[in-house]
Amino acid sequence: MKRLDDKSALVTGGRQGIGRAIVERFAAEGARVMTCGRGARPADLPQEILWETADVAERGDVDRLTDRVVAEFGELHILVNNAGVQLEKTIVETTDADWELLMGANAKGVFLVCRELIPVMAAGGSIVNIGSISATNADPGLALYNASKAFVQGLTRSIAVDHGPAIRCNAIAPGWIMTGMADAAFALARDPEAARRDALHRHPAGRFGQPADIAALAAWLASDEAAFATGQCYTLDGGLTAASPLNPGLF
Amino acid sequence: MSQQLAGKTAFVTGGSGGIGRAICARFAREGAEVVAADLHDPAELPDGVSFVDYDVTDETTVQRTFTALGERWPQLDVLVNAAGIEIEKTIEQTTLEEWNRIFAINVTGTFLTSKHALPLLRKSAGASVINFGSYDGYIADPGLAAYCATKGAVHALTRAMACDHGPEGIRVNAICPGYVNTPMLQSFFGNSGDIESLKQAVRDVHPLRTYGEPDDIANLVNWLASDEARYASGQLWVIDGGLSAQVQQMRL
Repeated sequence: MKRLDDKSALVTGGRQGIGRAIVERFAAEGARVMTCGRGARPADLPQEILWETADVAERGDVDRLTDRVVAEFGELHILVNNAGVQLEKTIVETTDADWELLMGANAKGVFLVCRELIPVMAAGGSIVNIGSISATNADPGLALYNASKAFVQGLTRSIAVDHGPAIRCNAIAPGWIMTGMADAAFALARDPEAARRDALHRHPAGRFGQPADIAALAAWLASDEAAFATGQCYTLDGGLTAASPLNPGLF
Repeated sequence: MSQQLAGKTAFVTGGSGGIGRAICARFAREGAEVVAADLHDPAELPDGVSFVDYDVTDETTVQRTFTALGERWPQLDVLVNAAGIEIEKTIEQTTLEEWNRIFAINVTGTFLTSKHALPLLRKSAGASVINFGSYDGYIADPGLAAYCATKGAVHALTRAMACDHGPEGIRVNAICPGYVNTPMLQSFFGNSGDIESLKQAVRDVHPLRTYGEPDDIANLVNWLASDEARYASGQLWVIDGGLSAQVQQMRL
């Protein structure tokens, strides 16, 4: 008996990175999994994973995604809102189009997907939203991204309060996970390699995170093992935010 | 069971209590070798769990226990500091003796056990320490002043230990339970008035419309103890049925 046997799951943004790791972990745990993204089905997506081309910021796409979920699964047990965009800009540099792109995916997308999918979720269902440590501690030069993740974590509590006890809802706040997003953030530094070394020393775990680390917690939260967990934002960052940013050992 | 802790050794303080006992039973089912440490030998232990007489406030006992454990086990993989007491009083009602006693158990006990477990934890390929904070370390329940203060101290100690010992391969986290069905909760409910309607009112204020069972807490402790949680450190894991996600409810 695997932990997610007989459960159906939708993971948004499953093309790569954290979303992809969650998709593959859920499938390994026995779930039937659908994922989506803005482009065509990735060539290397395992055969048994269902794919729907959809932009979560678009109402029509989310409606189509919902219809597909109902057609394939009947009812949904697990929803992971992972699709997200990161822009390396202060607010002064951010254009209206940037706002539409970033808040469209990270905020409106989570709202639309939850609004349409909650009514087709089974009792005992679990929603897992991907927040960020930068929801509570700002990463420099990521203004809208930081704010959008604060939105995600605030909405997580509201969903837990409004839709419990039928549905549990929690967020995961990853720290520095080795994905394309982390590379883009390090690229902002004057010396990206030095920045990488410095950042590594600030992790009590002695390493950066891997997408599989986040998938491990997502699997626990999605499972019935987490039956009493709701309304929380669980940080998974190798200890980074437990330590002060002023680290004299690095001077 | 999935044998998530196969080959691991685990030491659980407060191992006879409501939550501690559930943790010991779960660890044993997951394949760990488990020692339950407590003041009182329970009537019966879960299969695969051995008992040691243990007072978390007594450094001599703590040192002797870990010296003996070092002869029995090559390493310690999982330490759970679950021993704790609650005093249902405001600060005005709390005597200095009571204040010192609850700090000795809840805070000093966590410090002493962790300190003397470190040499054995360092020998593990991936050690995990799980302290017991509380959602009361964030927001206060009325009439639990000293208890709330001890849990805030455990939260800060958890981050400090994670920061200092992470580079040695030791993860440190705290679990912060909300209302869990234990003897401690029954005591908090007290003996006066209409207990059943009080319990129902408490259930109803939770988004999940229930309070937790010891197994709900043991489920999260088990995850944090396992290698699944290998990137989790320095965090305070609130598990409370959604209670603290909401503002106090005014049902008008």
